[in-house]
Amino acid sequence: MAPKHYRPAGKKKEGNAARYMTRSQALKHLQVNLNLFRRLCIVKGIFPREPKKKVKGNHHTYYHVKDIAFLHHEPLLEKFREIKTYQKKVLKAKAKKNEELARLLLTRQPTYKLDRLIRERYPTFIDALRDLDDCLTMVHLFAVLPASDREKLEVKRVHNCRRLSHEWQAYISRTHALRKVFVSVKGIYYQAELEGQKITWLTPHAIQQVFTNDVDFGVLLTFLEFYESLLSFINFKLYHTMNVKYPPILDSRLEALAADLYALSRYIDASSRGMVVEPKVDASSSSQSKDREESELRLAQLQHQLPSSEPGALMHLVADNNKEVEEDEETRVCKSFFKDLKFFLSREVPRESLLFVLPAFGGMVSWEGEGAPFKEDDESITHHIIDKPSAGHMYLSREYVQPQWIYDCVNARIILPTEKYMVGRIPPPHLSPFVDNEAEGYVPDYAEQIKRLQAAARNEVLPLPGVGKEDLQDPQNLLYAGVMSRAEEAEAAENKKKMAAKEQQYHEELKLELKKGKEVVVEGDSDVVAESEEEAAPDAAKMQLADDDAMSVLTMSRKKRKLYQAMQIHNERKNEKVELIKKRKSKLNAVQD
Amino acid sequence: MSKKSEELDDGKMRETRSKSKNDSAISKKQKQVVKPVEKEVKSLKEEEEDLLVDSGDDSDYDEDSMSGSLNSDDFDSDIFDSEDDGSQRGTEEDEGHGQEGLDDNDDESEQGDGEVGEEEDGSDDEDSEREVVEESDSSEDEVAPRNTVGDVPLEWYKDETHIGYDIAGKKITKKEKQDKLDSFLATMDDSKNWRKIHDEYNDEEVELTKEESKLIRRMLKGEAPHADFDPYAPYVDWFKWDDAIHPLSSAPEPKRRFIPSKWEAKKVVKYVRAIRKGLMKFDKPEEKPDAYLLWDDSTSDQKSKHLTYIPPPKPKLPGHEESYNPSLEYIPTEEEKASYELMFEEDRPKFIPKRFTSLRSIPAYENALKESFERCLDLYLCPRVRKKRINIDPESLKPKLPSRKDLRPYPNSCYLEYKGHTGAVTSLSTESSGQWIASGSKDGSVRIWEVETGRCLKTWQFDEAVKCVAWNPLSDFSILAVAMGRDLIILNTELGTDEEQSNIKELLNLGNLPEQSAYVAAIVTWLPDELYGGIKIRHFKNISYIHWHRKGDYLSTVMSSGETRGIVTHQISKKLTHKLPYKIRGLPVCTVFHPSRSIIFIATRKNVRVYDLLKDGVPIKKLETGMREISSMAIHPGGDNLIVGSKEGKMCWFDMDLSSKPYKTLKNHPKDITNVAFHRSYPLFASCSEDSTAYVFHGKVYSDLNENPLIVPLEILRGHSSSTNGGGVLDCKFHPRQPWLFTAGADSIIKLYCH
Repeated sequence: MAPKHYRPAGKKKEGNAARYMTRSQALKHLQVNLNLFRRLCIVKGIFPREPKKKVKGNHHTYYHVKDIAFLHHEPLLEKFREIKTYQKKVLKAKAKKNEELARLLLTRQPTYKLDRLIRERYPTFIDALRDLDDCLTMVHLFAVLPASDREKLEVKRVHNCRRLSHEWQAYISRTHALRKVFVSVKGIYYQAELEGQKITWLTPHAIQQVFTNDVDFGVLLTFLEFYESLLSFINFKLYHTMNVKYPPILDSRLEALAADLYALSRYIDASSRGMVVEPKVDASSSSQSKDREESELRLAQLQHQLPSSEPGALMHLVADNNKEVEEDEETRVCKSFFKDLKFFLSREVPRESLLFVLPAFGGMVSWEGEGAPFKEDDESITHHIIDKPSAGHMYLSREYVQPQWIYDCVNARIILPTEKYMVGRIPPPHLSPFVDNEAEGYVPDYAEQIKRLQAAARNEVLPLPGVGKEDLQDPQNLLYAGVMSRAEEAEAAENKKKMAAKEQQYHEELKLELKKGKEVVVEGDSDVVAESEEEAAPDAAKMQLADDDAMSVLTMSRKKRKLYQAMQIHNERKNEKVELIKKRKSKLNAVQD
Repeated sequence: MSKKSEELDDGKMRETRSKSKNDSAISKKQKQVVKPVEKEVKSLKEEEEDLLVDSGDDSDYDEDSMSGSLNSDDFDSDIFDSEDDGSQRGTEEDEGHGQEGLDDNDDESEQGDGEVGEEEDGSDDEDSEREVVEESDSSEDEVAPRNTVGDVPLEWYKDETHIGYDIAGKKITKKEKQDKLDSFLATMDDSKNWRKIHDEYNDEEVELTKEESKLIRRMLKGEAPHADFDPYAPYVDWFKWDDAIHPLSSAPEPKRRFIPSKWEAKKVVKYVRAIRKGLMKFDKPEEKPDAYLLWDDSTSDQKSKHLTYIPPPKPKLPGHEESYNPSLEYIPTEEEKASYELMFEEDRPKFIPKRFTSLRSIPAYENALKESFERCLDLYLCPRVRKKRINIDPESLKPKLPSRKDLRPYPNSCYLEYKGHTGAVTSLSTESSGQWIASGSKDGSVRIWEVETGRCLKTWQFDEAVKCVAWNPLSDFSILAVAMGRDLIILNTELGTDEEQSNIKELLNLGNLPEQSAYVAAIVTWLPDELYGGIKIRHFKNISYIHWHRKGDYLSTVMSSGETRGIVTHQISKKLTHKLPYKIRGLPVCTVFHPSRSIIFIATRKNVRVYDLLKDGVPIKKLETGMREISSMAIHPGGDNLIVGSKEGKMCWFDMDLSSKPYKTLKNHPKDITNVAFHRSYPLFASCSEDSTAYVFHGKVYSDLNENPLIVPLEILRGHSSSTNGGGVLDCKFHPRQPWLFTAGADSIIKLYCH
């Protein structure tokens, strides 16, 4: 008897059977083992596809035939085979005690590069940026892992990861592209915006990480290999746009002090300063876009060089550059967010993170230890970041705050009042900047407060967008920043009062309305059905609503009905969560009262 | 002595280089072994010497003499005999030692401590002597014991007074057990106690000599037992090379010493080739920078050669609850955490929010690597599909229905209740004028009610539960067909004018029954009804459904029986029963006559078949409902549309012109639909179900064939109590003129819903 899906001899396969193959078929086709296939798939970015009809059954993984063909034509496949034979050769030489040959072979180890693959997977720079999230998270994770022989994680690679992550951070910090920071239990999330792409990554807390047994390091290292080279190319491109040589050569003293990030930013400053002279010479000849970039850069450098000394000259410069299109609104805000504030980091705060965040928002930072740009007893320090239960010697001229204050300020984009973040206090809840509270259906109290403060800041204190740029460069801001927090507090208090009054009024009105509404309902009821009692009215109304709902669902097509029901279920679940949180909140309130 | 010392000197040398076979060494050894022999039995001396000379050439023998006592047993069989002799001799010699004393240095060991200094001087002859002595010592261990019990477990003698027997066969009595305290004191006093060992076998104290203790110590350290044995002694070549006149070999110098090596040449060629090919490089390749400008602007328009690349979805961004310091309301209470434990592992939340009061107290996240790994797995193992996420308000999915206000009038509220039945009302029927309704109930009564007042006009009581009632559709013949059990009874309702009454009486008079065909006679019998003066038609099976033809003369009854006997039509005027001229497949459920044409719809369990009454044979049409079990059916007064209700709560609307498949299927009831009904003039239809609700729909049929019928649900009518034994609403009928709906409930109430 012919099989169920009998295909006569000479007839080609068609449809899904021809278009997809299972993984084992692919392995056979490529003549590789599973390990090698996995590596190829990872570096080549090939993933299984979901055919409409699964010819071989549901429990198989299907790859598109064309994807496998890509792998088949991949020169890397040949390279991997070469490496395999090479390793065999070395083993054989060693086994035969042919040390000479083994040594000779070791000098010509076949190597390969992934640049072509990166180019193939990401034809444009934007494409690469779009997929950068995982890459950054992974590289940052491996930057803090201990090197391990057992997992074949070499020290060199860890150092490379560390270097790459610092280079990336230095660039982000330098260009003020950082937008959001969130300290979670898992680590610190950062979100930056580059060329319109939002890039989010997670850095683990700077604590010794542990290896777990349930992880296949082979897979992780293959991914890491690709990510490392991807990030190095991206960093090159980014540094190139900044006119800085890559790879950067760092101040070895600072590097030794584990202040890589600071060393990097110093390097960037220095090298871009050096470049300034050249563009001036050939500025006229170079293209428009390059020109713009350079002038921007120059601006940035100058700002860095002369923090507040010569406002007149700066104004002049800015006016000169005015014609050209400058950075978008947000970058400008970010750049001058902590402007004219000087921070000093205590020993116990996460220095790496803050050294990244504070300069990214235009703040000046120093820390306890060698190589620091200024000392603790500097009079101009405005904020001292401290994470101890109590501070020792306190300077009156500065405010002592916990590190969370910085993150919250950055996320809220206003300088928050510091009193809640004082030393020894439990800071207010740290809220995620990635959540749209309104869409979620529940707004935490602190988010509400921040929103009010923001509104207050926008209305009165912040300059109008049109005048913004000049204002930001204005030396007066120095003063204003210092005063700001106090002014804001006062405003907030006032605001609260106003709000409270308004709320009360609103409640009264609502009550009145409710009463009226009830009367209306009662009247209606008496008109329609004399017998039905007043209490039954809402019940009937509810029933009516339910009936309407049931009837409209009745007329939907089956597809739409299913979709509708799925949506309802989804919404219900979401609401359940929100309800749970609300319930907890009310319980907490009850306990507090 | 001088000669002997020379010999011994050689003996030492042999010891150091045990494997080298020097002739001299061999000879010395022979003498060495001979020595004890001469001590022992002088007479045997010559013989022995011969023997030893014969066997002594073997290197094995050397070994034996070296480590004699350690392994005297493993020898090659061919020299075994001589060996045996040797050892025997040794032991004998040892025994005699004590008495014989001394012309040799043999007795060193016996003399003990006093000899140590001498020994440490380390003169060659002493060493060799000691070796011999030691050999004898070890053999003493084997022979000397006074106890002769042999290698038996000593615990056999545990309870005895003796420990064994001496060589003469006398019992050796156990020593008296010393008092513990005494023995302890004795040990404390005795400074040499540490070298005393109790020999259980012989039951005596053995005191180790200083030398023995040193020996043991050295062995414990893993060194050679002899202090003076140097395992790494410099090699001394005893062959004299210098001032030899003659070469060892007088062969001429071979030619190969003078021609260049072929193999070397081959090797050179190999290297040359390797260098030329570039396999061997002497200067290190210059390092190229890893990164370069990969994306320059010129080639930005290059397209990816991949298949449609689906970028991986970005990981979910963290919410408030993942914060290190979330608001308190995000942290689950202890009870909630405990309840997580009870959940299935898949349902359990992956992340439980925690709160740390300061940044410095955050620990390392233990799942960091694992989560990263899982993400990697997702990236390369998960099939990616581009899915459109519909981000719309679910309400917008609902179709826009015409406002219900515009579709008025329709029944929406309960206006009247007809109470009187004592059992569930199973069936309803409206009189064609709309003035009366008839109802049949499970209590066996049939009642006629005045619609507008709710007055019960008339009651008939039967023995059986009434299954079905149906008014004659003609207004001037107000007769009622009632089905109960196997009987169909035609009742005179005694309404109407006298003239009409006389007509009815004439009709119901079973004067002379016409001859029925044999087939029909087997199914039905026409009888006069004695009780109420009507006609009783007895069927062979229980009747499940009756339906009047529009002309009022024919009445079809449905029995749940297969084949052709399930449905019969009775002609009242001629008192005749006809069987249908076609074979019905499956059990018939209900039948409906077409309102204007001579067509009959027969519903079996799954399908509805349409037959022409005037033609035999195959059905005109077969309507496939796709439902599991049809319960009821109603036809639109226009005749082109049909609704079918099923026991799974679904209702189908068939447009006969459109297709044999349902135009629309509505799943409106959670329970069985008991009945469906069309209004005769208004565009309304209704369904009632066991869930004690009735739905009223607007069902407009357009005269334009291009336009599909419009179906709008209008109202859900509730009111019948659902508590009674699973009845719900059993029947519903529209008023023939008004947009009113009658429903018959299992709670024995009939309700009238008005607009």
